[in-house]
Amino acid sequence: MGLSSPSGGSLRTVSSILLALIGIIFALPMAWVVLASFDKTATFALAWPAKPTLGNFTAVLTPDQAFLPLRNSLLISAGCAIVTVIAAILAAYPLSRYKARFNKRFLYGILFGTALPITAMMVPVYSLFVALKLIDSLPGTVLFMAATSLPTAIWMMKNFIDSVPIVLEEAAWVDGASSMRALWSVVMPLMRPGIAVVFILVFVQAWGNFFVPFVLLLSPGYQPAAVSIFTFFGQYGAVVYGQLAAYSLIYSVPVLALYVLVYRFFGGTSALAGAVKG
Amino acid sequence: MASNLTASRLGEPGRGHYRSRPRGAGRSIARTLPLLPAVVLLVVFLVGPIVSSFYGSLTNGSLTGPAAAQSSFVGLNNYIDLFKSPDFPVSVLLTLVFVLLSAVVGQNAVGMILALLLRGGNRIVGAIVSTIVVGAWVLPEIVAAFASYAFFSMQGTLNGLLRVVGVTGPDWLYTFPMFAVIAANAWRGTAFSMLMYSAALKDVPSEIIEAAKIDGASVPERFIYVTLPMIRRTISTNMLLTTLWTLSVFTLIYVMTLGGPGNKSMTLPVLAYQEAFKFSKLGYGTAIATILLLVGGVFAVVYTRVLKPEVD
Amino acid sequence: MNRSTKAILAAGVGVSLLLGATACSSGTGGSTKTIKVAYMDYGGVSLDNQMNSVKKDFEAANQGVRVELLPIKASLNDYYTKLALMNRGVSTAPDVIYEDSSMVKSDAAAGYLAPLDSYVSKWADWGQFYDNAKAAGQGQDGKFYGVSLGSDTRALWYNKDILKKAGVSVPWQPKTWADVIAAAKAVKANVPGVTPINIYSGKAAGEAASNEGMQMLLSGTGSSLYDTSSGKWVTGSKGFIDSLNMIKDVYQGGLGLSPQVTSSVNYGSVIQTQLLQQSKLAIDLDGSWVSQYWLKGAATSWPEWNNVMGVAAMPTQDGAKPGSTSMSGGWLLSVGSKSKAKDLAWKFVSTALDKKNSLAYDIAATQIPVRKDVGTDPTYTAGNPTNAFFSSLVAVTHFRPATTDYTQISNAIQVATEAVMSGQSSPADAAKAYDAAVVGIVGKDKTTAK
Repeated sequence: MGLSSPSGGSLRTVSSILLALIGIIFALPMAWVVLASFDKTATFALAWPAKPTLGNFTAVLTPDQAFLPLRNSLLISAGCAIVTVIAAILAAYPLSRYKARFNKRFLYGILFGTALPITAMMVPVYSLFVALKLIDSLPGTVLFMAATSLPTAIWMMKNFIDSVPIVLEEAAWVDGASSMRALWSVVMPLMRPGIAVVFILVFVQAWGNFFVPFVLLLSPGYQPAAVSIFTFFGQYGAVVYGQLAAYSLIYSVPVLALYVLVYRFFGGTSALAGAVKG
Repeated sequence: MASNLTASRLGEPGRGHYRSRPRGAGRSIARTLPLLPAVVLLVVFLVGPIVSSFYGSLTNGSLTGPAAAQSSFVGLNNYIDLFKSPDFPVSVLLTLVFVLLSAVVGQNAVGMILALLLRGGNRIVGAIVSTIVVGAWVLPEIVAAFASYAFFSMQGTLNGLLRVVGVTGPDWLYTFPMFAVIAANAWRGTAFSMLMYSAALKDVPSEIIEAAKIDGASVPERFIYVTLPMIRRTISTNMLLTTLWTLSVFTLIYVMTLGGPGNKSMTLPVLAYQEAFKFSKLGYGTAIATILLLVGGVFAVVYTRVLKPEVD
Repeated sequence: MNRSTKAILAAGVGVSLLLGATACSSGTGGSTKTIKVAYMDYGGVSLDNQMNSVKKDFEAANQGVRVELLPIKASLNDYYTKLALMNRGVSTAPDVIYEDSSMVKSDAAAGYLAPLDSYVSKWADWGQFYDNAKAAGQGQDGKFYGVSLGSDTRALWYNKDILKKAGVSVPWQPKTWADVIAAAKAVKANVPGVTPINIYSGKAAGEAASNEGMQMLLSGTGSSLYDTSSGKWVTGSKGFIDSLNMIKDVYQGGLGLSPQVTSSVNYGSVIQTQLLQQSKLAIDLDGSWVSQYWLKGAATSWPEWNNVMGVAAMPTQDGAKPGSTSMSGGWLLSVGSKSKAKDLAWKFVSTALDKKNSLAYDIAATQIPVRKDVGTDPTYTAGNPTNAFFSSLVAVTHFRPATTDYTQISNAIQVATEAVMSGQSSPADAAKAYDAAVVGIVGKDKTTAK
């Protein structure tokens, strides 16, 4: 785009102003959550709290309501992301490097898998889990969520691997390295931004997933925050919006922090280029 | 792709001494072994339930009532009832509108605009704005849904802003439910498109743009005739992904409008949930989900035929 | 299919079979000395507290027995879903279940609940339960599948000050529907800025539109929703159209709440926790439990509520006997059919529902007692000023025809109220659409035009 030309000074200002405008629009809904969390008598209006207080936070930050569910969310999401990334890299590598006739069909098939309505499938999944004795087990839930994240993950990972030039591996092979060794020491370091992107994507989706843990976990001590947040939408009680906002904030901060940490540290916008390019 | 050519030349004679590379069947297994964890996960946890669900859509399976104790095979009756029901065409239409406006237009267009602005604007402003936009994407869906609900509600932020300019806004969730959920979903998902297009634009060589400029092309002409074709693959892939993801959006709409008022925002996923879990008509709800899957398939075929994303 | 594809598929199938084989090994669902109690934990703490207290007493009285409480944090629909899923698996099926009275018949037909006839017939306390409360736990086969924890009734809450200002004499007891409308019109004419009356309608209100709304009206007419003797649903009844007309009079006559409120997910809670307290709504056809939001310790406590709010029974359409009507719902404790410790589970149920525990729960959760001895206990009547009034309505109350098809029929009712409330359809047309929907749900042979 010609915006980087020397005569683009005014263009730069206009762009910056438009950017700022869009930024403000995007920030508005989130601003409400932040402001309401400090307001004991919060309503839906975007208002500066009359008496800013941490009362909402202290009310919701109990071990039962916050710490335990958040711990479970962390275990489930991190477990799911780790399993997915590992399985995806392992699967994507041969798909990328070794031409086979099933490749194209397999990839389209799994891309199609991203459109699967998981909610509709949960009843047979429940029966399957009962048969496999994986009901009410955190590892079982993690495995299932990894399986559902695999289609997108494999697809993105394959594109990342495709963008790594093969010459380096060839050199490793000449030196006698097996393909796994080449993958580990040559390809993966170059793919770090890609791995980061997939990890974040899977983690974020798992963090927000309500229905799967709700169905597959029975003990209240295993439920993640995505499930326990529903107590704030109390059916028979008044919805205390301030507390709900505070809990939402607490619930969202870990993923936001994760994004900032992992993405900024490992990635940058160029990372995503590899995800979708040819 | 050069790398693929090289890969396919691996097995040729005279290519080098690969002591640790077994030939023939052994190589097949060694190559495919890494796929095993993924395949096992997919087959065990997905293939079985998908097949079972599909079979379930041919029964009158239910979570409660006599059909829960013993469901009976009803063939295509669920599908027939679905096509005869007045809710179904409304739902399909709403789903198409939702996907086209919030994913194709909303996320892709706004994402592209943001990507272009980020290239031209101030670096610091860009960093802050892109972080805010990504913040909306990373927010857990239930929080995003709730924040959107607050934003569009009668006493919410949108009406508050309108009041500043003297306009009394309606209850958006009641009067314009589709507008509210489309805007909310676009708000939520734009970050992905923004990041994709930012990355793709970076790879467009500036010499080509300069050449077009010298040839007298205006800014819009440069964009449409030079830049866009160069990032065609990213566009088509991005549109495919955002469409497929948007097709299955459920929580956002459900929390904001419950599919209402009436059925004014009852997209297929919300309808499927209502039938399967509120009315306990599992078989019928799964039939709707199967149709949804087919709609996704149609979109995928259309995109790949028309826009040809790279998948080899 | 080439070699590599075959290799992958073979490996995949092999591992799956292996997993399946290990999974199919048997294993009991837990020792017979542990019983699992599943209940809904959503919004209030009274049930949770009650379960914990019963657990303590039960474990103390039965050494060696462990009670595993499984509170399910979910909204109503998700709770039903979770429960159904748990009931389908032998290893996950609970022993004691907190069961909604509207689900008993269909869950019993699904085979999830154990019949309790042999237990209740030997239970001394069974005689204390009102007959209609006993009936609430009956399956379609007439067997008992649950015992009531408590119930609720519905009536007209009204703001004494507003009605006085409108010239309506207080204490207010309307005798016919016309009286109700007249009072609402008086409020509209004389007290600006106040919505005269609320009758739950529309899809956003959910079950409330059906139960607190239409059925409260319908039960006061000569018609009914369901003919118990023949087991058929009634279509084309005059009472149904009359009830819809009442809704039309309220909403098209400017006497009801704005669409903004009635189409909101928070329809009920806005009324119960804001509008009534702020004196913005004069009359509300609502349930006996509403005052629990105003009690001391509640997030929206309202100390003066008893001075401001009065209660009146909902009259029948033209004052026909018995003069007033009410609807009741309520929850029960059931025993899971797949339980391996049914005797122990029953022991828990009978302990949780003995006089002492029933009394404590009914007071804490603002329930209407279903036991005669609790209903007449002075501690109960003293527990809440409106308790005596609402329990008296048990004499005229009706229960919903909670068959398997009820949820869908209820939805059709909600759709009808929505159409009339918004002015989209006339009551006659909406009733016709309802009839068509009922036929679509249960088939023509299960309907009758009474």
